[in-house]
Amino acid sequence: MLATLLLSALLVTSAPADTITDYYEVETIPTPPGLVAETGGLSFLPDGRLAACFHRGEVMLYNPKTKVWKLFAEGLHDPLGVVAVSNNQLLVIQRPELTRITDTNGDGLADQYETVTDQFGMSGNYHEFAFGPVRDTKGNLYISLNTASNGAGIRDEVRGQYDALGRQGRMYACVPYRGWVMQITPDGKVKPYASGFRSPNGLGFDAQGRLYVTDNQGDWLGTSKLFHVEEGKFYGHPASLVWRPGFPDIDPLTLSVKTLDSMRTVESISFPHEVMAHSPTQLVTDNTGGKFGPFAGHLFVGEMDFSRLIRILPDEVDGQIQGACIPFYDKAGGKIPLRIGNNRLAFAPDGSLWLGQTDHGWLGDRGIQRIRYKGAAAGVPLDILGMKLTTTGFDLTFTQPLDEATARDLANYRFKSYYYEYHRAYGSPQMDVHTVAVAAVKLSADRKTVSLMINELKASRIYELNLGSLLASNGQKKLANHLVCYTLNRLVKDDTSAVRKTH
Amino acid sequence: MHRFLFLVSFLLSTMAASAQRDTLITITSSGGLQFDQKRLIVKPNTRLRLIFQNKDDMAHNLVVTRPNSRLRVVEFALALGAKGPAQHHVPVMDDVLAHTTSIEPGNSDSLTVTLAEGAYPFVCTYPGHGSIMYGVIYATNQPKLLPAPETDRNLPNPERTAEAAHHHAAASGHPYSLQLPAVYRTFMPDCGPAAIAVGLPGPEGGQSYVFDAGQCRLRYAWSGGFVDNTEQWDGKGQRFTKLVGDIYFRDTGGFPWKIGTTKQEVPQFKGYRLINQYPEFRYIVNGVEIRELIKPMASGRGLVRIFTLSPSKQPVTFVTTSQPGIHFKPSVGRVQNGAIQLPNGTRQFSLTVSTL
Repeated sequence: MLATLLLSALLVTSAPADTITDYYEVETIPTPPGLVAETGGLSFLPDGRLAACFHRGEVMLYNPKTKVWKLFAEGLHDPLGVVAVSNNQLLVIQRPELTRITDTNGDGLADQYETVTDQFGMSGNYHEFAFGPVRDTKGNLYISLNTASNGAGIRDEVRGQYDALGRQGRMYACVPYRGWVMQITPDGKVKPYASGFRSPNGLGFDAQGRLYVTDNQGDWLGTSKLFHVEEGKFYGHPASLVWRPGFPDIDPLTLSVKTLDSMRTVESISFPHEVMAHSPTQLVTDNTGGKFGPFAGHLFVGEMDFSRLIRILPDEVDGQIQGACIPFYDKAGGKIPLRIGNNRLAFAPDGSLWLGQTDHGWLGDRGIQRIRYKGAAAGVPLDILGMKLTTTGFDLTFTQPLDEATARDLANYRFKSYYYEYHRAYGSPQMDVHTVAVAAVKLSADRKTVSLMINELKASRIYELNLGSLLASNGQKKLANHLVCYTLNRLVKDDTSAVRKTH
Repeated sequence: MHRFLFLVSFLLSTMAASAQRDTLITITSSGGLQFDQKRLIVKPNTRLRLIFQNKDDMAHNLVVTRPNSRLRVVEFALALGAKGPAQHHVPVMDDVLAHTTSIEPGNSDSLTVTLAEGAYPFVCTYPGHGSIMYGVIYATNQPKLLPAPETDRNLPNPERTAEAAHHHAAASGHPYSLQLPAVYRTFMPDCGPAAIAVGLPGPEGGQSYVFDAGQCRLRYAWSGGFVDNTEQWDGKGQRFTKLVGDIYFRDTGGFPWKIGTTKQEVPQFKGYRLINQYPEFRYIVNGVEIRELIKPMASGRGLVRIFTLSPSKQPVTFVTTSQPGIHFKPSVGRVQNGAIQLPNGTRQFSLTVSTL
């Protein structure tokens, strides 16, 4: 008996603490002396080198094998995105234009800077950042254009047509096409694609090739959001409406909130402010086929102010894309901690996720880090793989079978429900916050799915779930993340024949 | 047997020595306002036949000058003005030892010259080209005594020129030392928000200018330095990049080109390419593609704007805005009522803007 007790005590103390750092590790990439590493873009070339652009106008190439940095291009105006076209050609967005940069003579340095498009306005306001590009499977490019800030004025000379009707408001759009996502077709046509964005510092596609854009909490955005972007739609920040074809000759802010609310397309996923995110950035899909761990096909979103990434758990209900978000590698510590300021993300050919960091006058760190999955030998962390709305609650799917006792304990599931106000003010408090009781828990036969029946399900609300100490593998694995937030835009019809796509 | 071999090799070497008195060398130009060979070494009193193949997309010539005469010849070539094209941009003067004709892209021409001991510059005297498109022929029996190419003052070398202009690596704000010519797209004062600041090498900090990529035109030029980005880079980019030096030229007019007589379209900026690190801007207006390369004058305060135009069936006019103390010197035509009417079919044209 004594021996057994001693042995079990020994087992407990020698058992791994089981944190996310057992499965993933962070490495800091040294940047060259003299470089102010405010990272604006990351992209891998076909030959495996990394292209990175920085605030002071440099585009540099890094060879992960030799660990050597080389200058490729310089003199760009605040480049905030790069996409490698080939080993000697990049697309880079900078404040004034989208530029195709080519090394035509093979000396390793770019010598040709071609304007892909500059068909958008600039008032000279510093907040008119330009983001992107991303390229869809048909070869269309997308960029997004920040609105201007009333924290600073505009120049005497602007580029593009000036419209005083777009000059009102905290964030404004007095030149085209501020607050828009633009599409550039392979034959060079430039199309204002979707409007209603405030500070859309993140574009990307999900595994199905659908375009998503992140937007930042502020005026008209009660909290930061992830939008599924489709042509012609308006996403809620009114300033950009002045550039919508056929929009009446009025200041959009004279429209009632109710009218604007009826015009807008709501977000797919909200990132509850301070709970999940402060300032979401770029999004990338895990296309590594498992090299990055159990999350193949998942969307990851960068975040400026917290030492974490955000992972997306999509759900599609009655044609509406909605779903949940969950932290990834949250406050993980480890030998090398993950820094903040994660502005840009790119998966490397080896399956590691590279992070470009910046502060640039806001909160953040500078430099480049990467997160690597330690591989099958390290095993799989216990984490949530999916969260689906049901007619009575949610189904949570995990990476591995759960310990039955803890999984069946109702006390391990605590729900809160609230919403954010759509209004002109900056941000929004959580409105009508209340707890939602869990009525019942069911565990699937393979112990990987928990079905929660809850006492309230209402549309246009966020369901924030805090999970207790769930365990797996006979208590050897602890749940990696205890927070998951589901944006419920649309209810599942109480009809078993309802068509429901799963992803 | 050994002795026989020795005899043969001796004969061959003496034959080779005498054959060198007649030498044929082919030089090409392949874009970037550069000759592919910039340093030729021959024995004194060699009769040198130089074949010049123009593989570039603009016209060039090749002029061999007396020692230390390159800049003077370039200056006189520029002074030919409207007479330049008829003379292949070659001035009639003793300093010119030999020259080719004006060679259109894809063509070639040759010259023959016999050179006594010395360093003989060769240069393209097209307006604006002479300040960077040159090289040197050394006629010498002691090639080992020549300076290393990277320190050879007879060769064009933008890096060395920038060093001479006292630019310090520590102040560049980059992971490399800033070398002129250099390009910054940034917020510049007195320009549209899509500004391109360009620093050019030269004495006393060089010369600089701002090109407005929104309006596709030169806005102003200054001398005595380039720019200070400290405030622009610090923070979120609210503040302007500051220019270092004194502005000596401002273009107070609008877009300078008039193509045809009907409606003038808004010019479209198409980007630039770096030619020997000098940006050549490209823009399109009324269906005509215009390329503009801006060089510092060989000496003094001023810029040489070199324009290359795609064919136009319509009359092409370049409009200048007169201002006190500024001289406009076009390579073809002349300034009349503030405008230069380009002769039909003009494909290349340069305008020197100077305080001379």
